[in-house]
Amino acid sequence: MLTGIMSTETTSRRGFLKGAAAASGAVSLFDIVPARALGLEGQTPPSDTIHFGHIGIGGRGRGFLRPMSNVGKQVKAPANLGGDGSRIMLPSLSVALCDVDTKRLDTAATLVGGKPKLYKDFRRLLEDKDVDAVFIASPDHWHALQTIMACEAGKDVYVEKPACNTIEEGRAMVSAAERYGRVVQVGSQGRSTLSAWQAANYIRGGQLGRVSRVLCWHYASPDGDWTPDSEPPPELDYDMWVGPARWLPYNVKHTHGAFRWMIDFGGGQIRDRGAHVMSIANWIMNCDDKGPVSIEAKGEPPHDGMYDSAVTMRVTYEFKDPDWTLVWAQPGTPSQELQAAYGAVYHGEKGPLTVTYGDGEPTNTEQKARDYAERCDCGKAFKSPGHAENFEDCIRTREKPIMHMEAAHRVASLCVLGNVSFQLQRKLEWDWVNERVVNDDEANRMLSRPGRGPWHL
Amino acid sequence: MEDQKLLAAIQSENADVRFAAWRQAGESTAAVVPELGRLMGASTAPVSKAAREALTTMAHAVGKDADAPGRAALVTALLGLTTKSNSLPVRVHAFRLLSGIAGADKAAQVAAALRLPEVQEEAIYCLERIPGTDADRELLASYKDVKDDFKPRVLYALGHRRVQEAAAVCAEAMRSANKQIAMAAVRAYGRIGKPAAAAAVYPDSGALSEWQRVEEMDSQLRFADHQARDGNHTEAMRIYAVALGRAEEHWQCAGIIGLAKIGTPEAAVAIHPKLKSQNRVVRITAEKAWISMAPPERV
Repeated sequence: MLTGIMSTETTSRRGFLKGAAAASGAVSLFDIVPARALGLEGQTPPSDTIHFGHIGIGGRGRGFLRPMSNVGKQVKAPANLGGDGSRIMLPSLSVALCDVDTKRLDTAATLVGGKPKLYKDFRRLLEDKDVDAVFIASPDHWHALQTIMACEAGKDVYVEKPACNTIEEGRAMVSAAERYGRVVQVGSQGRSTLSAWQAANYIRGGQLGRVSRVLCWHYASPDGDWTPDSEPPPELDYDMWVGPARWLPYNVKHTHGAFRWMIDFGGGQIRDRGAHVMSIANWIMNCDDKGPVSIEAKGEPPHDGMYDSAVTMRVTYEFKDPDWTLVWAQPGTPSQELQAAYGAVYHGEKGPLTVTYGDGEPTNTEQKARDYAERCDCGKAFKSPGHAENFEDCIRTREKPIMHMEAAHRVASLCVLGNVSFQLQRKLEWDWVNERVVNDDEANRMLSRPGRGPWHL
Repeated sequence: MEDQKLLAAIQSENADVRFAAWRQAGESTAAVVPELGRLMGASTAPVSKAAREALTTMAHAVGKDADAPGRAALVTALLGLTTKSNSLPVRVHAFRLLSGIAGADKAAQVAAALRLPEVQEEAIYCLERIPGTDADRELLASYKDVKDDFKPRVLYALGHRRVQEAAAVCAEAMRSANKQIAMAAVRAYGRIGKPAAAAAVYPDSGALSEWQRVEEMDSQLRFADHQARDGNHTEAMRIYAVALGRAEEHWQCAGIIGLAKIGTPEAAVAIHPKLKSQNRVVRITAEKAWISMAPPERV
């Protein structure tokens, strides 16, 4: 996270540290940097109970609630977040809840019990100094701004995937997390599963040889229908729900539970499940800090109805150094080895390997990878204890979590660029270092979406 | 597809026929734009959608290259749809399409709509996406003319685009008695990151809300980051030192991280006391910063 930039290249490490310590007129080098360095032994423990705030507490957000009834009990980690559900979590409590829908707010408050503080404006929750960290499970078009503002307010963040809706948003999230030294875990929990680790261990251990293709499959999206616009229900602050996105009159079929099918809000399957399946692919293929050199999407949006995200879609991403191809296909060709509605097949010189799902569904891989992991740990893949557990660990250690912001931004970039290519119906040449499309004026403008006042990056 | 055939197919009762038409609309000429606008604004939902998507396809078809044949004519035709004679949804959609393809030569025409309350948010969205200094100039010029309730939005756009020439306007607006304007100026000033000739005076933090104090410090830190990157280490270190002196953990962390990026012995001296901070997070951040600042041993 911290990048040292030395102003004088000729200064040696020892000389620099000695000089700085001497200039401080205080203590010796070894008083300043103890041998334990970043180890935590003997350190002040974190506060006894982590106080969580929750922004967005609809269906997904409720899964993160830490109810009052758990206080004083040994609570195991949720098993649908990658871990095996065996670890006892640090004591925690949901002390503040926020939603723009008061019905959802009331429901969540009842689930939590006690007297959590209730907010309709997330900024009031972020001001709350009693909140240590936040779970963000609002609609996708809010993820970036709320994460950035949470960092500005000093909160560690667990934000649902996809991380962002534009390239500019993702880069701004990375900057915010870095500027404030905050821990940000993005909710692509698949890479925290044992199966994903087994597959990573197997592939990075060279058992497939060189991997040249990763083919993701998923089923097609719904075609949609026509539902008339209407007045928003009284419990919903719709203006706040739209927030930084472009204004659209209220429609029950593009808000709760259905925003996924609008590109401006949810971005379709590729930004939903794609952010899970391709997260594992990027991780296994060591691409958490790089991107493809080209993106080409083909497919069709709904012929009719109110939605605009892809019904069918095949996106081909070409990576260089090393050269490999990633394909997102809805519908695609399912694995012959494992039954699942979605997942990816990794094709190497020595054969294929399947990894299914990557979200709350049971992620799985083939027996050969499991057997290999029993015999051998190649040491080239971090073994997460589970996504929530890893987040908790990083809150304590200040290390980067397994789905840190840069990695999440790179995965979200795949999803975003797939949609841009799909919308423009043309191939994009991508300069992943500078994050610009080569020689495409309109595509470059689509990498950013100015926020609707007063919301902006 | 010929223009008249396109317009007929767009109005078909068959969804697949409409779909095939709007997917091929990129082959049509700008002459169909007014009629597509009319169909979008005055038809049943399915036909309205087909007309809207046809306009979108046409814009995308000329979007890649600023000099693409037919682009100038299409931009002109879409500007025609932004006028008051069209329904509001049509005007809104036209501005959104123009945000992707309008060139600098149309910045002034788009900026004229910043004075129209019903479309000013769409106009500024469009202007914010048009590359080049012409759009910068139009945004900056509009600041004086727009009503007070829209001035914050203009300041946001200037900050988002990092319009260097707007630093002085922001510095001045930071003194505004209108708190919304003052805070928008604070935010823009930090994002622009260029010192104004006259010293910027931040609003009295005692008069700010809790969240406004967060925004103010964030803006100062962003400004400091720009100064550090531009080599103005003295000013950057001054701001980071302010952050280090605050009680809030994350502001101390931001100060440490900023100083570590400067990476001079003086920056290390400023970080040093934080190695013994009573706050665990601050201490760990300082330890990491300390280690990151040291260059590798020369071999």
